[in-house]
Amino acid sequence: MSDTPIKKLNFKELASQLLPEGASFDSCLTCGLCSSGCPASGLENMDPRKFIRMAMLGMDEELSKTPWVWMCTQCKRCQHVCPMDIDIAQLVFAARSNWPKELKPSGIVRSCELTRSTSSTSAMGLPPEDFVFVVQDVLEEVRELQPQFKDMVAPMDKKGAFFFVNQNSREPMSEPDEMVPLWKIFNLVGADWTYSSKGWAAENFCMFSGDEEAWHQVIQQRVDAVNELGCRVWLNTECGHSYYTMWNAINRFGMEADFELANLVTYYARWIREGKLPVNADWNTAGLKFTVQDPCQIVRKAYGDEIAEDMRFVTKSLVGEENFIDMQPNRSANYCCGGGGGFLQAGMTDQRRIYGRRKFDQIAATGARYVLTPCHNCHSQMEDIGDHYGGGYHVVHFWTLICLSLGILGENERAYLGPELAALGL
Amino acid sequence: MKQNTRHIDTDLTIIGSGLAGVAASSFALRRNIRTAQAGNTGALAYTTGYFDLLGSLTGGSGASISDPWEGIRRLRESEPLHPLARIAEDDIRASFEEFITFLAECGITYGKPGDRNLDALTPGGTLKKTLSVPATMQAGVDAFARKAQCIIIDFKGLKGFSSRQIVANLKTDWPQLRHERISFPEIDQAEIYPEVLARALEVPANRAKLAEVVKGLATDAEAIGMPAVFGIHAPDRVMADLQDRIGRPIFEIPTMPPSVPGIRLRELFEQVFPQKGLTLIPQQKVVSTDLQANTIQLDLKDNYGPIHISSRAVILATGRFISGGLEAHMERITEPLFGLPVTQPASRDLWYRHQYMDNLGHDVHRAGIEVDEQFRPLDRDGKVVHHGLFGAGILLAHQDWIRGRCGAGIAVATAYKAVQAALSVLQPAAA
Repeated sequence: MSDTPIKKLNFKELASQLLPEGASFDSCLTCGLCSSGCPASGLENMDPRKFIRMAMLGMDEELSKTPWVWMCTQCKRCQHVCPMDIDIAQLVFAARSNWPKELKPSGIVRSCELTRSTSSTSAMGLPPEDFVFVVQDVLEEVRELQPQFKDMVAPMDKKGAFFFVNQNSREPMSEPDEMVPLWKIFNLVGADWTYSSKGWAAENFCMFSGDEEAWHQVIQQRVDAVNELGCRVWLNTECGHSYYTMWNAINRFGMEADFELANLVTYYARWIREGKLPVNADWNTAGLKFTVQDPCQIVRKAYGDEIAEDMRFVTKSLVGEENFIDMQPNRSANYCCGGGGGFLQAGMTDQRRIYGRRKFDQIAATGARYVLTPCHNCHSQMEDIGDHYGGGYHVVHFWTLICLSLGILGENERAYLGPELAALGL
Repeated sequence: MKQNTRHIDTDLTIIGSGLAGVAASSFALRRNIRTAQAGNTGALAYTTGYFDLLGSLTGGSGASISDPWEGIRRLRESEPLHPLARIAEDDIRASFEEFITFLAECGITYGKPGDRNLDALTPGGTLKKTLSVPATMQAGVDAFARKAQCIIIDFKGLKGFSSRQIVANLKTDWPQLRHERISFPEIDQAEIYPEVLARALEVPANRAKLAEVVKGLATDAEAIGMPAVFGIHAPDRVMADLQDRIGRPIFEIPTMPPSVPGIRLRELFEQVFPQKGLTLIPQQKVVSTDLQANTIQLDLKDNYGPIHISSRAVILATGRFISGGLEAHMERITEPLFGLPVTQPASRDLWYRHQYMDNLGHDVHRAGIEVDEQFRPLDRDGKVVHHGLFGAGILLAHQDWIRGRCGAGIAVATAYKAVQAALSVLQPAAA
């Protein structure tokens, strides 16, 4: 730890600037719906209501220093249930920004630095040439070993493609076979898509580190990459915060983005409805039960219940309506798993697991054997709390289950399936 | 960034998601009206879960009343403009029955409304006159009526609910009542919320642990009361299971907000309405309106982009000051969305009486919009503003829902009338 002090912020003034039009802290009833519904309540003896009240009382020194701002995942559930729509997560962002870099959780800071270290914008620092190589290498292997896909493509830097597809670095870096089901899906529906060698990565921990300038720069690189290729749609694959950091930044910084932002789940649903992805639940003869985790970053914080409905439609199509059990609460009211906001990278394992207890209970109450989620942080956190608290469930990506249902899931593409599905359809 | 405006073309739009708004949606769904609903969180989550019809006559002694139907008959004499005084008794009864039936179908059972008010328990250890309580609270009403041997349990760290206080306030009337405090299994935070406990009890393993602790305490009790924490999503099921494990009747007592019964209702409607085909635009307020000859145009937006609604009829159920249905300015009160005239005291000096607890209440609470017999808002000349625009809930003038203990009664009954009237515009033949 360095001796650099944390500057004192004027939270009351900040909070007043962040209020929606017509709202006022005078109308805050201190009702506590925010704290009641927040899994971070009680950590560091802090909660959202206390944070706001302390801000109003001018307790800036305490708020400027509380490490709670790194345990709040900025999931915005507090704002969602607040009748006055008070944006507490923005205050937390301001508090994070105010911490000297050397005192911020090093895992988050490092991820941001790595993101800026190459034009890939990859939080794992994977340079463009390595990404291009991995994609090519994996593609060749699939074409060779899975004759059904001998003509499959994974285009790179294709100008004018309809979809600009992003990718979480975890796949090319640590589990490249996980990219394959996605390519198969694109291949099957005949999507006109491309990866880009620049700005292809999904993650953006610069926002979570509170470094606004770095966040802006990273998104600028990505926006430029899409504009340069002239793609119609920036397609966010199964990674939650990448969408939010992009969407929010484009609005926040007033960027020129000549394309639409879309999430893969929306297209999964569309392709299933159009018959291009002829999935069904015939494979689920054992009646395995499934639930869905709504990533905050693409549901509550972004698309809202519309995409949550699409997720459920896709899930029911894949596993059978009778085998889907919703978590409670769900959709926009669902809880953050505790993996977001950089919590997974912040090194505060005990607190993160206490936070995650709420999610564990939700999953346990469904009795589901599998949790589907289109978000890597949710994925990792739910696996971790499942191990920690003794849950017997597995967490899987949508692409895995789609390809399983279609009978095209390869042997190496099953890392997250349980033993009962490990060999199904091979 | 490119955004597309979404257009929603519908027959009825309900603006507001408080009790009046959700009741109106439930009535509209039952009548197969193509319906959309918009509105942000609303105050629904603050309810005790009790549905009051009329608990007190304002302007008098402030004493509570046992027969709400007789109370409404008296209102017709003393306050003929009161919304409840303008609705036939049969319609009020039908509205409650229909709403409670809807709730039961969706997973929360309420007691059948009767001819008399119930004496329901409050977290302060006082009694409240109400018409209908959730099934999870019924055994408490019954236990009080019989003055049964009973134990009230609270949890360490749960603020605003003291079993000791409840017993202290009730022991004169209910000598057989005693209290206990326990730690909720495996939750050892300094401050805990009912919502957290209720979520934990959705997991069978957690119910088993709690039942073990409670069983040891209540060997001679005929019934056991606890703060309202018997699950969020399926309270009847959670209570039945917990009761089986404990081996005695159990019941909930409402807690201070943020309370579980309110969160239950809000989450239930948010899930059930879209499943039943209603177009729900949650958490978003309508920002502008345009009255046209045959439709009403509404604009709002969410994170995805702008939303435009074209609706043949609209029910305005935006509530009062907290939810933004009314706005208080230095000189006057306004209705911001349609600019409807607001009946109100002549000057701000007359908004409040000197004593906050004055039985006469405060005139500011009686401010609101005027409607005709069809619950259509009226302009300054007493003319209908638009044939397709209706008003419901505590936005209406000439009532003090706080002192009258009649908030749910006004919400449910006026929503019922507004939907009936809207139906007669939408389907003249059917109505």
